[in-house]
Amino acid sequence: MDYFRKYLAPQQGGEQPSGADTVERLVDRASSSTLLDDRRDAVRAIKALSRKFRLEVGTLAMDTLLKVLEMDSSDSEITGYALDALCNVMSNEPTDEDEEIPQPGGDDLGAQFTEIFIKKTDNVGLLLSLLEEYDFHVRWPTVKLLTTLLTNKVKELQECILVFPMGVSKLMDLLSDSREIIRNDALLLLNQLTRGHANIQKIVAFENAFERLLDIVHEEGASDGGIVVEDCLLLLLNLLKGNSSNQNFFREGSHVKYLTPFFELDQDPHRAQVGWSAQKVTNMHLMLQLVRALVSPSNPQQLTTNCQKNMHTCGLLQQLCKILMASGVPADVLTETINTVAEVIRGNFQNQEYFASVMAPSNPPRPAIVVLLMSMVNEKQPFTLRCAVLYCFQSFLYKNEVGQSQIVQTLLPTSADATTISAGQLLCGGLFSADSLSNWFAAVALLNAISNNQTQKEQLLRTQLATSLGNPPVSLLQQCCNILTQGGRVQTRIGILMLLATWMADCHTAVAHFLYNTANVPYLISQVSSSDGDESELCVQGLCAFLLGICVLYNDDQNQTFTTASIRQIIEKRIGLEAFTNKLSHVTKSENYTRAIKKPHLNYKQPSEVFFDHEFSRLFKDVEHDIIKALSPTNNSKDSKQQLANLKEHESIVAQYKDLIQEQDVGLRQLQGQLESLQLEHGRTQRQLDESTQQIQQLRDQNALLKATKGAKSSSSDLCREEEVKQLNEKLQHLSLQLVEKDSHIEKMKTDLLVLEARVNAQDLADEDKENNPSETAVLQQTVNRLNTELHELRLHVSNKDTEIHRVTSECSSLQRQLKELSLASNNLAVDTGKVQSLSDEVKKLTDDKNSLQERLKKANEENLNFADKIHKLEDAVSREQTEKSKVNDELDTLKKEQEDLLVLLADQDTKIDTYKKKLRELGQEVEDDDDDLNDEDLEDEDET
Amino acid sequence: MSYAYLFKYIIIGDTGVGKSCLLLQFTDKRFQPVHDLTIGVEFGARMISIDGKQIKLQIWDTAGQESFRSITRSYYRGAAGALLVYDITRRDTFNHLTTWLEDARQHSNSNMVIMLIGNKSDLEARRDVKKEEGEAFAREHGLIFMETSAKTAANVEEAFINTAKEIYQKIQDGVFDINNEANGIKIGPQHSPSNPSMPSGGGNAGPSGNCC
Repeated sequence: MDYFRKYLAPQQGGEQPSGADTVERLVDRASSSTLLDDRRDAVRAIKALSRKFRLEVGTLAMDTLLKVLEMDSSDSEITGYALDALCNVMSNEPTDEDEEIPQPGGDDLGAQFTEIFIKKTDNVGLLLSLLEEYDFHVRWPTVKLLTTLLTNKVKELQECILVFPMGVSKLMDLLSDSREIIRNDALLLLNQLTRGHANIQKIVAFENAFERLLDIVHEEGASDGGIVVEDCLLLLLNLLKGNSSNQNFFREGSHVKYLTPFFELDQDPHRAQVGWSAQKVTNMHLMLQLVRALVSPSNPQQLTTNCQKNMHTCGLLQQLCKILMASGVPADVLTETINTVAEVIRGNFQNQEYFASVMAPSNPPRPAIVVLLMSMVNEKQPFTLRCAVLYCFQSFLYKNEVGQSQIVQTLLPTSADATTISAGQLLCGGLFSADSLSNWFAAVALLNAISNNQTQKEQLLRTQLATSLGNPPVSLLQQCCNILTQGGRVQTRIGILMLLATWMADCHTAVAHFLYNTANVPYLISQVSSSDGDESELCVQGLCAFLLGICVLYNDDQNQTFTTASIRQIIEKRIGLEAFTNKLSHVTKSENYTRAIKKPHLNYKQPSEVFFDHEFSRLFKDVEHDIIKALSPTNNSKDSKQQLANLKEHESIVAQYKDLIQEQDVGLRQLQGQLESLQLEHGRTQRQLDESTQQIQQLRDQNALLKATKGAKSSSSDLCREEEVKQLNEKLQHLSLQLVEKDSHIEKMKTDLLVLEARVNAQDLADEDKENNPSETAVLQQTVNRLNTELHELRLHVSNKDTEIHRVTSECSSLQRQLKELSLASNNLAVDTGKVQSLSDEVKKLTDDKNSLQERLKKANEENLNFADKIHKLEDAVSREQTEKSKVNDELDTLKKEQEDLLVLLADQDTKIDTYKKKLRELGQEVEDDDDDLNDEDLEDEDET
Repeated sequence: MSYAYLFKYIIIGDTGVGKSCLLLQFTDKRFQPVHDLTIGVEFGARMISIDGKQIKLQIWDTAGQESFRSITRSYYRGAAGALLVYDITRRDTFNHLTTWLEDARQHSNSNMVIMLIGNKSDLEARRDVKKEEGEAFAREHGLIFMETSAKTAANVEEAFINTAKEIYQKIQDGVFDINNEANGIKIGPQHSPSNPSMPSGGGNAGPSGNCC
């Protein structure tokens, strides 16, 4: 201490050598002394002065100190002093001691010395190699010095460290140091090292930084941990933010799931009441930012999607939603949680679906979305929280048609339920509330519910609002226009204008609704044509111009007053094209617009900053160009119309093609179905084919058998028939002969009769005739009887024949049926042409056979018919004969009668003769004539009686 | 997602020899004819299986350009395997192998498995380096050798998997200290004997503290 006093005392006295002198002397001693102890003392003294006389020590002692580091590195003590001294020189951080000392050279002093230090790149290498020394007195100040250097000149130091082989790896190894103080300072060092340097970030990650850091966070108690946790999280954030390679590595290394436990809130109600420490709030914020870094909308799409998926499966999203609905969470943490949930669900349908299903533990339980929206349209809630809710709502609806329709549904008259608070009710309430910020929030929320969704745009047109009692309901669109015309705050109008523009863009029906009220277009014209106003007023005018442009672009020309052409004309005449485009460009030029289109997250600090919505900005960017093109003078109205028409045509063509494709799709599907069924059928028919080939074989056999039997039968039956025919012919001849005989008989009888008549006429006694006739009749009767019996026999024969023919025919028909079945079966097998060909050949052969059989059958039938005919004729003949016979009988009867008559006559005459004889006798005359005859006659009479 | 081992690979070699294409073919099974210069290092990963064991490969594809050499060097130490790639249609890329190998041997741990790869074997007509030369070089320096085509995917799988097999064999032989993650090998979470409540295997403090 004497040594010190020697140098320091005079200074304290105030008139003694300046600090510079002292330092100079010490430097001289440190560099020239041969004794290590002397040098050590000198360096220690320099270190002691380094804070007070930063400039002096820095300018005079740096080289010496570096030399000490190089030469005396074996002595940890002197190395430690040198490092400490350098650290003090470089550090810009104020210490409690030097409060009263004005810093010469200002804040840049540290940077300037750092610049001098790294001029020799070896110096950094020297420090890095010093890290290999385990001694705390060396390692710790080295870490601190490097951190200070990095803080001062980050870019240069990063390059120096990168160039040094294994430089980054050496620094990474410090995280494994068992001495916590070194590990913690290494965290600070790495935080500085990785700032804005993707390659170093990657190397650090490669050196297992993720695992180590997550381990440390876990060990230190996660969100309840201290500043070390904060440092770890900061470093993790450094490594991941904007570094897609590291994000990918983080995800691939399955580290996402280790984030979930970070968000497990303490369920102990007692501790919850104590509130959150400032450190916990900070830690929580960083953890949430870590999650957001992985799913940021500015990350590569694929990566974000993958991370979102992981966060759902590992329960991270669920945990975050729990925080949303938990009580006692500080507002800013809640806000950041909402923002985080927003990005975890954004554009990922599964996560959006989960979010929609989350219920708040209120009574009655309400969907989390509704509870959040309640906060959004509540003026009393913090502004950033309301922004976050809107962001969350936007993210929920982003690329989520189902979600969009769910929200719009709650606005439609059919589903309006008065008892529960719905999202639609809240949005309408916000839209028409007195708070202009609520108007803006609600308008933007609604805008996102219909953005890029044609169906919902049209659905929303159906929304009717009950105004005051007794007045007819007003459509939502009209009510928006009414609010617009009433003026009001800028944010209200901007919100409504953005909603209207989004609504009407690409939706002709909405444009038609808008134009239906004739007051709307004049209002827009008046807005656009007014020339004064501040920045925000100009933006409103620009939006009005945009809306007008949409009326031109998506006009269906159904409205007589405001057609595409007429609005164009009004714009040209009343505003002028140049002024119109100027107004439009006001929007894109505005700072608020550039901010909004950059990223979806609304990172606004104050309510006055709220202007444009991200989704709307994108629409504006897309449509603005079309509007200018549609209005540009080179495009006369016809052209633009034609273009529009062309566009429509194209659309229709595309639609046609789409339809066609759809049809073809349907056809394709049908065909595929058919193919399938056909294949099935093919299999079945294949089986059938096999079966039927067998069947055919069987049938062929049967056929052959049948043919044989048939052949035998037909030949024999033919013979039989011929014989029969012959017999029949013979019989016929016989019968005709008999007929002839009978004819002759009848002829004879007739002649006899004639003779008899003649005799009767001649009053002859023709007794012989009497005797003859009965006998002849008997003969006739006999022949007739014979004929009848013969006929009967013949009939029997014929019927036998008939039954036989019938049998043959039925056999034939069954054969035919079988054949038909076969041919049907073979038709089914059309696919298998070869087999089917052979089959059909066989079938044809069979059919031929069948045909020939049929023909034969036909012939036989014909023959049979002939026979039947003949029989018929015969029967005819027989019947004719019978009639003749009956005639003859009749004649016979008449003859008998005549005979009797004649006999009676004869008897009369006899009696007359007798009387005449008696009279003659009485008269005395002898009567002698014809006695014999008389006697005979008497005899005869006696016989007869 | 679970694995028995995790191996870290690096791919090194002159610029334009097809390192990124090899990785893309291995991880995504596709070929990209036009590829930008790799800036620094890119990361890719795939799961393979050896002996029925799932092995996760984490592969860092490095930039071949000289200006990125210092960055590339930082990856040697932590890698268990390296694919040293040259282009069979460009002799200079073959001639530079010695430099690459020296660099790798200097900065890596001595057990790192190096696979020599002659890429672009589909361009037989433009061949400038005979297969025998590659084989001879590999023999001389104790490397495994293979000719591949990132375009046709020929031998690409084999190159990565054979390297993994070699590492796996070295583990079985006890050459690698699997508990030192700095070697580029990690035991899978379910195989790790360390505290199961920890997110990942230990090694954050203590034993390795006095190693340097």
